[in-house]
This record gives sequence, structure tokens and C-alpha cells, in this order.
Amino acid sequence: MSPLTVERRAAFRSGQRAIIPSLFGAAAWGLVSGVAMVKGGLAVPWALMMSLLVYAGSAQLAALPLIVAGAPLWVIVATGLITNLRFVIYSAAMRPYFAHLVARRRAALGFFMTDFTFTLFMRHAQEGKLPEHRDAWFAGVCANNWITWQISATTGIVAASYVPAEWGLEFTGTLALVALVGPSLVTRPALLGALVASAVALLAHGLPFKLGLFCGAIAGIAAATIADSLRERAPPDAEGA
Amino acid sequence: MTAPVSGIALAAVILGLALSTFVTRTSFLLAGAKLRLGHRVEMALRFAPVCTLAAIIVPDILIHAPGRVLDLSLVNPRLIGALAAGLWLCWSRNIIGCLSTGMAAYTLARLCL
Repeated sequence: MSPLTVERRAAFRSGQRAIIPSLFGAAAWGLVSGVAMVKGGLAVPWALMMSLLVYAGSAQLAALPLIVAGAPLWVIVATGLITNLRFVIYSAAMRPYFAHLVARRRAALGFFMTDFTFTLFMRHAQEGKLPEHRDAWFAGVCANNWITWQISATTGIVAASYVPAEWGLEFTGTLALVALVGPSLVTRPALLGALVASAVALLAHGLPFKLGLFCGAIAGIAAATIADSLRERAPPDAEGA
Repeated sequence: MTAPVSGIALAAVILGLALSTFVTRTSFLLAGAKLRLGHRVEMALRFAPVCTLAAIIVPDILIHAPGRVLDLSLVNPRLIGALAAGLWLCWSRNIIGCLSTGMAAYTLARLCL
């Protein structure tokens, strides 16, 4: 094995380890998505195909009632697109880190990007903890997340009839996101951005296709950026003191 | 119960949804080489994770699925669970502990309140 291969494998394994704490959330979310698809009316083989090919819990759950209601194809796909709009923001944020790779590799890494893997990547990037072979590291992160999600989704699909809905297992997914975002709330612009994003998302939650989420994200990012640029422009405290 | 939809229609729906995931997730990553975002936009995107997740999490906690009404009351089990998880995070970064604490508080609140 060449030294390069050894380094890339080490980066891959390091990524696999980095995602482990989030895997419980991913497993719970996958389980819930699997259960919901069958309980929502999809036959087992279709539910399996959906979780394998679509691999996006929120879009799958949003599309479900439309499928069962027999909505036209374009309405269902449009719902999927709009529910997935946040991934456009994610892919723009990751672009600078992967711009040097060939298109095929960028496409592969993009397909396996989720809320969990993206947030973990950005946090490591901002803390300067990414290894040199960050694409191999991210591939390791995504591999473990994908395997975990697929196993738990399949389990959920097969065992749907035994899981009571009152357990609220899907809340584990929300809590895992809380744990992911919590450590990033240390700066004032980030805190302000989160507050604005939450408020706008709450006010706009009545909009169809989860558009409230998208509006909230955009408003939050704008608020955080403005706060950040004001902070940069302000004279340093040391001068006045 | 099975969806009253034909196999071909379902296959088309699933492929369409798969495409919607792929297109959104790879959009800027694939446009990468030809597209320059500029320093300001790249600085703004540092806040993307925090803001997007907040916009997912907070409505998830405060808006109840049946009826979709805002529930700011302190007996909202999801709010109690999330607050417990947040308190845990102030003390430790351990995600498993955070999930267990949050789910325990949520389940207790759901059963008792």
C-alpha cells in the first residue's frame, strides 16, 4: 500500500469514529421513517426501495400523505424538492472544501450528505480539526451514517406493526439535532441567527412544503451575517480601554 | 393498508423523489468549478448549520402535529425534553447522555402531565 492510501484510509476511519455519537439519533430517525412509511400506507417492498433510493427522511415523510392520496407526480416531486431545499444551502457551504475533486466524487459525497453529516463536517472544519484528506474523512462519516440509517429504516419497515406511535421515537431525531447545534451557539452572531431563524420558522410554519424552514434559515443566516459584519467593523475594545 | 396507486406510478414517484434529493444535495457541489460565490457569501454560509437546524428544531418542539398549533406551555413534553437535553449539553458534550436525558424527561412528562 502506498503512503497515500494509508493516509486516506486513516482519514476514512477517523471520520467513521467522529460520527459515532450521532449515530443513535440517525438510528432513531431511520427507525421512525421506516415505521412511518409502512404505517402511512406504503407496502413493504416500496418502503424499502424508497429508503434505499431517496435516503431523505423528511422528504419521505412529507411525500407520504401525498402518495397515499394519489396526488400527481409533479406535486409529489415538487414537495420533495422544496423539503430538500436546505440541502442547496448545505452544498453551497461545502463547495469550497471539495472544489478540487473530480465531479464524480463531488456528486457521490453530495448524495450521502445529510443534516447530521453536514453539521459534523462544518463543525470540524470551523474548529480546524479536518485531516488533510477531508474527502476521505467525510466519506467515512457518510458511510457509517448511511449504514446505520439503512439498517434502522429496514428494521422499522419490517417491525412497523410492533412499534407503538405514542413512544414518540421520532423525537430522538430532534434531540440529536439539538446536540449537534448546541456547541455552535457560543458566539453572539450564531445565537442571534438561531433566534431569528426559529422565530421566522415559527411564524411561517403554516406555509406549505415546509417552506417556513427555508425562510427561517435564510432570515437567520442574514441576521447572523449582519451582526458578524457589524462586530468586525466595530473598533476593538482594547483601543477604548 | 396499501396505497391505492399502481406499481409503475409508485416507482415513478420514488425515482422522482430520489432525483429531488440528488439534485439539491449536489447542486453547488457540482456547479463548483464554474461558480465563484465570493467571500461574503462564503462567510454567510458559516452560519448555515446553526440557522437551518434552529429552523427545523424549534417548530418541531413547539408545534404539535395534530392541529399544528403553537404550544408554548411548560407542560409541553417536547419542550421539557428539549430543555432537559439543553441543560445536559451545558454540562457535558456527550450526545448519548443528551439523548437519554431528553427522552427520559420527554417520556416522563408525556406520561405524568
